[in-house]
Amino acid sequence: MQSEIKNIVIVGGGTAGWITAGLIAAKHTKNQPSCSTVSVTVIESPNVPTIGVGEGTWPSIRETLKKIGISEADLFSCCDASFKQASKFIDWQQSPLNNNNTSHSYFHPFSLPQGTDQFNLGTVIGTLAAAENNTSSFAQQVCYQSILCEQNLAPKQITSKAYDYIANYGYHFDASKFSLLLKEHCINKLNVKYVSAHIVMVNNGEDGDISSVSTKSYGDIKGDLFIDCSGAQSLLLGKHFGIPFCSKKSVLFNDTALAVQVPYENQDSPIASCTLSTAQKSGWIWNIGLQSRCGVGYVYSSQHTSDNLAESELEQYLNSLNTTNKKAELSVRKLSFNPGYYEKFWHRNCVAVGMSAGFIEPLEASALAMIEQAALMISEQLPVTKSSMAITAKRFNEKFIQHWQQIIEFLKLHYVLSKRDDSDYWLDNREPSSIPESLQEMLELWQHQAPSSYDISHNNPLFPAASYQYVLYGMLFNTVPVRKNNDHDELIKQALAEIQQKRQHLSRVMESNRILINKIKQYGLATI
Amino acid sequence: MANHVLLNSIEHKNLKINGERSEAMGDNVWYAQTFPMEFRSAQAHYPILFQKDSNTGQFMPVTLFGFQNEDNLFLKEGGWDATYIPLALQRLPFYIGQKNVENEGITEQERVITLDLDSPKVNTEQGIDLFLEYGGNSDYLEHMANVLESLHVGLQDNKDFVEALTTCELLESVTLDIELNDGSKNQLIGFYAINEDNLNKLSPDNLTRLHNAGFLQAIYMVIASQVNIHDLVARKNSQIAIAS
Repeated sequence: MQSEIKNIVIVGGGTAGWITAGLIAAKHTKNQPSCSTVSVTVIESPNVPTIGVGEGTWPSIRETLKKIGISEADLFSCCDASFKQASKFIDWQQSPLNNNNTSHSYFHPFSLPQGTDQFNLGTVIGTLAAAENNTSSFAQQVCYQSILCEQNLAPKQITSKAYDYIANYGYHFDASKFSLLLKEHCINKLNVKYVSAHIVMVNNGEDGDISSVSTKSYGDIKGDLFIDCSGAQSLLLGKHFGIPFCSKKSVLFNDTALAVQVPYENQDSPIASCTLSTAQKSGWIWNIGLQSRCGVGYVYSSQHTSDNLAESELEQYLNSLNTTNKKAELSVRKLSFNPGYYEKFWHRNCVAVGMSAGFIEPLEASALAMIEQAALMISEQLPVTKSSMAITAKRFNEKFIQHWQQIIEFLKLHYVLSKRDDSDYWLDNREPSSIPESLQEMLELWQHQAPSSYDISHNNPLFPAASYQYVLYGMLFNTVPVRKNNDHDELIKQALAEIQQKRQHLSRVMESNRILINKIKQYGLATI
Repeated sequence: MANHVLLNSIEHKNLKINGERSEAMGDNVWYAQTFPMEFRSAQAHYPILFQKDSNTGQFMPVTLFGFQNEDNLFLKEGGWDATYIPLALQRLPFYIGQKNVENEGITEQERVITLDLDSPKVNTEQGIDLFLEYGGNSDYLEHMANVLESLHVGLQDNKDFVEALTTCELLESVTLDIELNDGSKNQLIGFYAINEDNLNKLSPDNLTRLHNAGFLQAIYMVIASQVNIHDLVARKNSQIAIAS
């Protein structure tokens, strides 16, 4: 067989590098006859600190961790991890100052609206006229999960199997500790080779593919497939191959973040079940509750405000959190980024995963989910020979262009639906020229019909129609159906009542996040 | 609700324990915790399965008396219909409590007998005296102290036993499909049993380890006890027949 793909070299550690290494190694190096073994090498520069993109994950991470072979209890013991069941958007619809100082908020939970073959509650409730639909919020009506978020309750019980759930969940965790856990597991359990060295040169072979990378302390490292997990510097894809970058700043304005770590009042303070996202004058503030602290950050548009103004807005937010006594110790870290992605991600024998492929504000915590998707496709579709690689590369590029386009449109939707007019930032966000055409088309359709899977052209989208429903109706969008369907009225009534009963039941029987996490650390979680 | 108090011969001088086994006396439980040293006696009458402790998620062996909450198929008109009652029930309404005692300036924990005053078994009219006329322990109370002690010692084995089972992957989740004479089909979920495939594949090292710990015999007792599920089904069928 001509030039088999055997040596995979991953440039860069961090979550992208180690998730990719873990998924490939778990599939291709474990329990394989030695002749067909693929070798995986991770080169991590001792000089480059990992930046720990996004501490929020999606439910897909559970399957990823299971595949790699990480124990769920270890995640809680080693990574300061907590449960994430939803995103909560606060003040996005309207500024509290224009709203009699009352805050509007809504949930985008990980559990889908309840439904059957005959009807989908998301569609049913979404298309009810606003007047008959004002008692409780959309998410409260169509799904039981938001009550767990309202009360800081856990999505599973101590008797649940590892990675099993009662309400769907992902995690919040300390990304650098998470990388470390993966790294140890990959090296010790999955035979991933680890090289701590700084890359000084990328060398092409005669065919134009990358043949090796030269390191300062470790000489040349050869490979058949190079995976670029080098972060924002995009060492192989961007720098070496010069693949052009598509900036999306004209759609999503945010390009700067100020991040701080905020301690809890005390060690028994409740841990939130969701990422809190609070809209501000020129962006929004994330608040992610871990076991030992909260990660808080203001992500904003540098064109619409100054760093100083942003910092004082962040300070105001922190003051409102009631952790004033410890405020003085907080050190603010500034991050700048160029929102967008590369024109392609897989070029010749090099594929980029993580920030080396693109980056966008963490509004729906898509960064880690994209890493998982990319690593999974590389691992499952790993080309056997170089000649078949071009086909895989083409498919990979098509798929991930679709993913990026969807993420950008979906994030933009959050801004477009806002009624805020307290700054140019919000007005500019609703400027039609900044709204992608296909999003404008969907908004037109949604005047009279609820978001459905017909709105999404590709398979296995990152955001299903339900996500659009949660945002649309969370933001009080009014869909006025022309044709009313009364087919299943009784069944629907019954389904809605069952959800309310389940909410009551869960609020009685589920333990708090803090209590369950402590129990998991003490007793572990059984795998059966 | 339970109301546990430290037992003492002054306040509780006149108390009697009603020894009747019945629903009215609160005996209508459908399973009870057990432990390896009790398996020999228990397996003769009851299926032994494993369940997760709802508070810690840890596995614990239980003897099964029925198929649903508050349905104990061993409770009959004349009492408990088996010659052996598991210690976890025999001991009712007594429990083991912890008390801090000062011993030459050092605080130590001492095990003490507590009593659930709210148990319907506790009264002043009917049953067996706890104390003798001048405050000494009755034989019955001495017996109960022994039961509690055996239970305490026995339950301590469970942690090691369960850990040995999970390490060797000897537990598996089971769903019991039970079809009754009235045609109803029922499923019993949330229980675990010995994974016999994995047991038969155990390495000599692991076998020796289990044997030396005294757990190998216990494992086979658990397997042997499964046959009692048929007895339990028969009891359920006759309960249905009587009711209809």
